[in-house]
Amino acid sequence: MATRNRTVVYRRHRDAVKSVRAPLFSSASGSGGPVIEMASLLGSNRSSYAPLSTEDPGPSSRDAFTVGLPPSWVDDSEQVAANIQRARAKMAELVKAHAKALMPSFEDGKEDQHLIEALTQEITDILRRSEKRLQKLSASGSAEDSNVRKNVQRSLATDLQNLSVELRRKQSTYLKRLQQQKEGPDGVDLEMNLNGNKSSLEDDEFSDVGFNEQQMVKIKKGQQEREREINQVVQSVNELAQIMKDLSVLVIDQGTIVDRIDYNIQTVAVSVDEGLKQLQKAERTQKKGGMVRCATVLVIMCFIMLVLLILKEILF
Amino acid sequence: MVLVSAVRDYINRMLQDISGMKVLILDSHTVSVVSVGYSQSELLQKEVFLVELVDSISKSKESMSHLKAVYFLRPTSENIQHLRRQLASPRFGEYHLFFSNILKDTQIHNLADSDEQEVVQQIQEFYVDFVAIDPYHFTLNMPSNHIYMLPAVVDTSNLPHFCDRVVDGIASIFLSLKRRPIIRYQRTSDIAKRIAQETARLMYQQESGLFDFRRMEVSPLLLVIDRRDDPVAPLLNQWTYQAMVHELIGIQDNKVDLRNIGKLPKDQQEVVLSSEQDAFFKANMYENFGDIGMNIKRLVDEFQQISKSNQSIQTIEDMAKFVDNYPDYRKMHGNVSKHVTLVTEMSKIVEERKLMLVSQTEQELACNGGQVAAFEAVKNILNNESVSDIDRLRLVMLYALRYEKESPVQLMQLFNKLASRSAKYKPGLVQFVLKQAGVDKRTGDFFGNRDLLNIARNMARGLKGVENVYTQHQPLLFQTMESISKGRLRDVDYPYVGNHFQQGRPQEVVIFIVGGTTYEESRSVALQNARNSGIRFILGGSVVLNSKRFLKDLEEAQRMARSSTVVV
Repeated sequence: MATRNRTVVYRRHRDAVKSVRAPLFSSASGSGGPVIEMASLLGSNRSSYAPLSTEDPGPSSRDAFTVGLPPSWVDDSEQVAANIQRARAKMAELVKAHAKALMPSFEDGKEDQHLIEALTQEITDILRRSEKRLQKLSASGSAEDSNVRKNVQRSLATDLQNLSVELRRKQSTYLKRLQQQKEGPDGVDLEMNLNGNKSSLEDDEFSDVGFNEQQMVKIKKGQQEREREINQVVQSVNELAQIMKDLSVLVIDQGTIVDRIDYNIQTVAVSVDEGLKQLQKAERTQKKGGMVRCATVLVIMCFIMLVLLILKEILF
Repeated sequence: MVLVSAVRDYINRMLQDISGMKVLILDSHTVSVVSVGYSQSELLQKEVFLVELVDSISKSKESMSHLKAVYFLRPTSENIQHLRRQLASPRFGEYHLFFSNILKDTQIHNLADSDEQEVVQQIQEFYVDFVAIDPYHFTLNMPSNHIYMLPAVVDTSNLPHFCDRVVDGIASIFLSLKRRPIIRYQRTSDIAKRIAQETARLMYQQESGLFDFRRMEVSPLLLVIDRRDDPVAPLLNQWTYQAMVHELIGIQDNKVDLRNIGKLPKDQQEVVLSSEQDAFFKANMYENFGDIGMNIKRLVDEFQQISKSNQSIQTIEDMAKFVDNYPDYRKMHGNVSKHVTLVTEMSKIVEERKLMLVSQTEQELACNGGQVAAFEAVKNILNNESVSDIDRLRLVMLYALRYEKESPVQLMQLFNKLASRSAKYKPGLVQFVLKQAGVDKRTGDFFGNRDLLNIARNMARGLKGVENVYTQHQPLLFQTMESISKGRLRDVDYPYVGNHFQQGRPQEVVIFIVGGTTYEESRSVALQNARNSGIRFILGGSVVLNSKRFLKDLEEAQRMARSSTVVV
């Protein structure tokens, strides 16, 4: 792939042109290069600040003075991007915690479970908050850079959606492996269980025909646990489904016409034209409109009445 | 792979070193160049959050200095003017300028003059000046394509412009492949000769430093030929998927516009047919209509099975699985409806225009012999009321191109019949085509009735019978490629430019058809490349033709030729 860089030629010519242009502006003061720099700055109406670093005449020194700060929604979008990074880091931690919990160990895996639950909860929270903030993004800001905002939204939405899908997938593989582990040694899957170790205790109890008190308590506790776990799972599935539904509206389907650059340029042009037409139509109807005429007639009538009233007062 | 990946590499390089939020500014040509190889979602990943056209961007006054502007334009004078105005009052923080072809020094100076604020960070030449529609097929999307048909005396102003654009396009192909070719051209075509010579001058004299790449053992070959050497290929009706869609509906930059076809849901009004992104299309783009029907039915069955399983959601696990698979499901749904819509629409057109009947006659005209039988068949079709004007015209043209010299009386009869029935087509268009591409003007022997070997081959084929009567035609390009593969392309017909010479067979060949390529020919090239014979062919043209476009070019050229003779 051949390319050719013409920047050197360009810069040389640009500097040559500048040095030709500058003497037109230089005033009585000064000597040499730096003053010419400042003078040309003054000449271009950019700023009246003298203490510019004139060693580096690049645009970076001008940016601070030209138009300055980016709009506020950029901060929001940057924060969402930062959140996504954090979520990714947490996800990596979650993977490690999953792996650790799956490893056979002698101790009670309660801490592992808590850690996993906490991490999962945190990640889901981050995703939900980011999604809300993303929705807010479209509301704020001016109309001019609405396209930029929309595109920023889309790109962040895609990232968020990918993260949620990844999270779901990791959760389901973890659950599956957990079940396999339990099924393996037991041969019978008694309950869908996030806290793996507890059920192994119950297994032995069921071999008896009758249940005694202790066993009943244990069974009840087991059932409650099971309910709780099911509820948790349902809740997390619901949350994630909600997130995905919201995001999927924003995300572009790859391979379709919406993903084509030329199609997007066309639609922008069309909508801008349409907007202009609507505005013009509105202006016309407003001008022609009965409202304006009525209002003028009424004002004139009021005026006439006022004049008549004054006349009446004067005459009588 | 080759061309599309070149485009993607260039664009990646453009965007990778510039950090932060960017806006990409293109012109009407580079929009096509970029859109076929890069998608909007990929741009978003590279933090390009706005794409605009260079001529419309000047209307807005708002300054967005938090964005960095990446311009990718063709180095034309209009673009330079636009740029100058925009540099004088810059809206963006930084400006990075990329041009798709060689800049003249005066253009650089003009830009430097206007850049008072010194916002331009870099100016580079990135040589992507062609639209890579398929891995081995490119086009230049030239607007006034018909100019190539006019001799130089008729239209002196536009012809150099045309030739320059073609030379620029060809040069950028070789610069992106980093090779410098040996150039051959078709002897009988003046414009091919002119383009070949100008390309040689550019590559070997004017910019020889730029083109001085590492020499391999065997140089690649550039072959410049004229569309009029094979006027039959664009006139025939097509029956393989990609070519058929273009012939009956029309493909532009891998997009199909279905807006004037009845009531379609909003997301199906314009669809994308790209072998890079659509696996079903990639597998079926060169298959014929009957096989496509079966494959689509299989696709629909698969899809129905999946949607049925999606509807029976009973447990939490089912729900979770559904949520996981939803994006894929949606994509598949869109894809299936797209193909079903296309095939339905094409079947409707085939039915309306009686294309089975017409095409059979066309293929016999193009492939088999028998002047008397051909005459009868064409006459019958002309008498058939339900055949459309364009199909009648095509048939008469094909007949005329084949049996130009035999039995002129019968040819006259057909002309009269055509003129009496078809109000739309101006008389004399067929004679014009004969003047442009008649038997005397043609080098190649695509009717297979010139040299002995071809006649024998035809007879053998006739005896053996054909697999599919609708796809018997092989474009002349196929024979040309075979000759090149065997190293037997005749010097007499296709001379070398200057003192180039090539021993043995080239390993890379770029064939440029002045006047336009067809999808049938690109299919030929793709199938040839798939045979892995050690030679890689790339095909390109000024446009991609279908019969409508070819006829339009003929009409335009005829109109200009006529109006100029009036003046002269």
